[in-house]
Amino acid sequence: MTTLHAVAGYLPGLAQADVKWQTLVFNSGTTGLTVAVPVLRREQMTALALRVRQATQVHLKTMRVSAIVAVVDRAVARLLDPDDPYRQQADQLLPIISGYDAEMVRLGLTAFFKTFRAPQLHRFVAEDFANPKLLDEFQPRTKGGAARAFGPDLLVHSWAGNVPALPLWSLVCGLLVKAGNIGKLPSAEPLFASLFARLLAEVHPPLADCMAVVWWKGGDTDQASALYAQADTVLAYGSNASLEEVRRQLPVTTRFLPYGHKLGFGIVGKAALDTQRGPATARLAAWDVTRYDQQGCYSPHVFYVERGGAVSPHEFAQYLASELCNLQMRFPVRALVLEDAAAIAGWRQSIELQSMALGAESISEPIGVDGAASCVVYADRPQTLAPTALSRNILVVAVDALDQVIAQVQMHKDFLQTAGVATSPAELFRLAALLGAAGVTRITAIGSMTSPEAGWHHDGRFNLLDLVRMVEIEQSAESAADAMAPYAD
Amino acid sequence: MANSPELSTNVLSGTSGDVVDAVLALINQETCADDAFDRLALRLFAHQISNNAAYRRFCQRRGATLRNVHCWSDIPAVPIDAFKELELRCAPPASTDRVFMTSGTTRSEVKGRHFHPTLEVYDRSMICNFSQRFMQGSERIEMGILFPDETVLANSSLAHYLALAVRQFGAAESRYFLSQQGLDTAGLCNALANAERHGTPYALLGASYSFVHLIDALKQRGTTFRLPPGSRVLDTGGYKGQSRELPLDAFYAELSALLGIHRSQCINMYGMTELSTQFYDAGNATVPSVKSGPHWIRSRLVDPLTGRTVPTGERGILVHCDLANFNSVTTILTEDVGIAVDGGFLLLGRAEGAQAKGCSLAVEEFIRAAAV
Repeated sequence: MTTLHAVAGYLPGLAQADVKWQTLVFNSGTTGLTVAVPVLRREQMTALALRVRQATQVHLKTMRVSAIVAVVDRAVARLLDPDDPYRQQADQLLPIISGYDAEMVRLGLTAFFKTFRAPQLHRFVAEDFANPKLLDEFQPRTKGGAARAFGPDLLVHSWAGNVPALPLWSLVCGLLVKAGNIGKLPSAEPLFASLFARLLAEVHPPLADCMAVVWWKGGDTDQASALYAQADTVLAYGSNASLEEVRRQLPVTTRFLPYGHKLGFGIVGKAALDTQRGPATARLAAWDVTRYDQQGCYSPHVFYVERGGAVSPHEFAQYLASELCNLQMRFPVRALVLEDAAAIAGWRQSIELQSMALGAESISEPIGVDGAASCVVYADRPQTLAPTALSRNILVVAVDALDQVIAQVQMHKDFLQTAGVATSPAELFRLAALLGAAGVTRITAIGSMTSPEAGWHHDGRFNLLDLVRMVEIEQSAESAADAMAPYAD
Repeated sequence: MANSPELSTNVLSGTSGDVVDAVLALINQETCADDAFDRLALRLFAHQISNNAAYRRFCQRRGATLRNVHCWSDIPAVPIDAFKELELRCAPPASTDRVFMTSGTTRSEVKGRHFHPTLEVYDRSMICNFSQRFMQGSERIEMGILFPDETVLANSSLAHYLALAVRQFGAAESRYFLSQQGLDTAGLCNALANAERHGTPYALLGASYSFVHLIDALKQRGTTFRLPPGSRVLDTGGYKGQSRELPLDAFYAELSALLGIHRSQCINMYGMTELSTQFYDAGNATVPSVKSGPHWIRSRLVDPLTGRTVPTGERGILVHCDLANFNSVTTILTEDVGIAVDGGFLLLGRAEGAQAKGCSLAVEEFIRAAAV
């Protein structure tokens, strides 16, 4: 077995020798990887925060948004270049860290990075700021007066998740609003954010001190509170329990932007279930299930499939099962630790047992080979939205009409986000109104569930607007100033 | 008591009666060769699929029939959750049935049920095994029980187990120290001091979490004992969220220090409501200890997704085939992680605390949120 080594973290102003390091170990098949993660002392953390704040004032706050976009675009261009050493490191190491199939990671990264190129970033800004110059200088308001948007001086990110490269979202958001950024790495994927920070510093050296990437062991409140005390805004991803823990450590005046875990689902109407479109829709659905093994907040757990099409819900489930098998050949599901395998087996068993207990009145059956990597469970009665065991285990539920789905999902309003929908245009808009009222914030095509478009509103929130503070010069101040001008008559 | 082991007349008639006699005969043997084990396992399999509709359906879904099940490890293992969802029994329900229920640590609203039309087999299994593994040749010993008695917890297999231990192997002074009022620390300290003074060996038996409460109580009082040689401890069942979590090593170290009982005499019993036979270790001088069962139970470690036995030396989920489970199902799939070693297996805890999921909601969190 070969073992690779990598160093995580990005600590401007701190020499490697002055920092204590801890090692995280990852294994994937025949390759092992050790990642050294930094463990800072309280005073080191405080000093780091101060340094980032100061450098940001000098180097980042003074850049225009378009210039920031250009810098990020140059960094992302490097990441899109298969021959670039940063991209090669990501391609080589992220599959080992995450356990995902290397080809799936490569395709996923490219698709993801494409949403961070200059045109997409401009769209990203325009989505939240009709006039992006608001971020650069005072702009006239239609009501009178002027306004300017100020980003936080120090934005702290608490990243989470096993979807590789995810920290890029919030880090870029922070840069676009000219915030100093310090991110806390997730132990599950400590590498990408570190690479990106180094790359950015290389592409545009003045930014070198405007960001830092740190780590601490979950539950270490000493380092956490040292950093949180310095933050203007804290943005955190994770389970409600871990978000609650972050919130408890924040001063009441610190703005907190929590992004909790979500539960995605798909809806397939009979318009998508004729003999041509039915199998094609199932193929797209299989991609949504396969990408990152359902670990994304946008990943589907349940597909609700309408009866009455040429392809029945049960047939749709069978198509989906066979597509999942095909994709398993190309992109094998990641190796499961015993505990995960047991959880998946438990999920499958519980469905089987419940259906046995109900007897003949309800059909609920796993489709596919016993012991296969993926599993589609078909249920012919409405089933409330609930998480599956993930790792390509999916529930297909037959419904008589798409409206029935609303009742199955609306009680979980707090956990809703993405709904993949395949139906006719009129149905799409009618259904979207119902889904929106039920709590869904993103309606997308089946097949696109795991690739939110540039400028999407994560969990229905404003990615950039939520970060800024609007400063307004009221009309009265402008008028009063006029009276004090040297040229006043 | 109707199920007293002294009444060895088999109360069941028909095929159930026949299999009970066969199981009792096998338990009474000294050992059991592979083919004899398989023979009885297959006979019970045939009995169970013919008399238990739920199990028959379960086996049909797996394509397991009398034709292709050739040895005990071919018998489909029923997940223990099935004891919650299905009525796994062969003998028709009767008012005299004893029903043992799970304590419901994971899904408190639904309890697994294990139906015993007679406790003759359960009791014989317990007595033979306990005598060998815990009593180690002694006839009787004074016992202190850290668990409620059978009248308080009529559906607890552990309450019955401990009652049987007291009745069959306890000296006259044996008594319970746990009631609805809690742990009778003063009474227990008296009994322990007495044993210390008179040099009579003493046995403390109960739930692992009660021992944690005892450790805390003794530490609070600043009391320690040096119990005479031959004294021993039997704990079982883990902490189940009923006490603070104490690492195994610290648990036995503290127990040993407070009671003056060597760790090799601190025995852990691994049992389940869904089984009729228990596993023991030979003390806990080192942890995790090697667990093993008597000749009428066999275990293997499986990949939970495929059900196949894992290669030797790899962790797997424990499957037990307990021939004393004549009325329910012989073969169950647990939620316990183990690893095979010489002479038995190491128990490595429950299969939970799976790796952190990404941003997708995990089942556990969802259940917690939905419960609020």
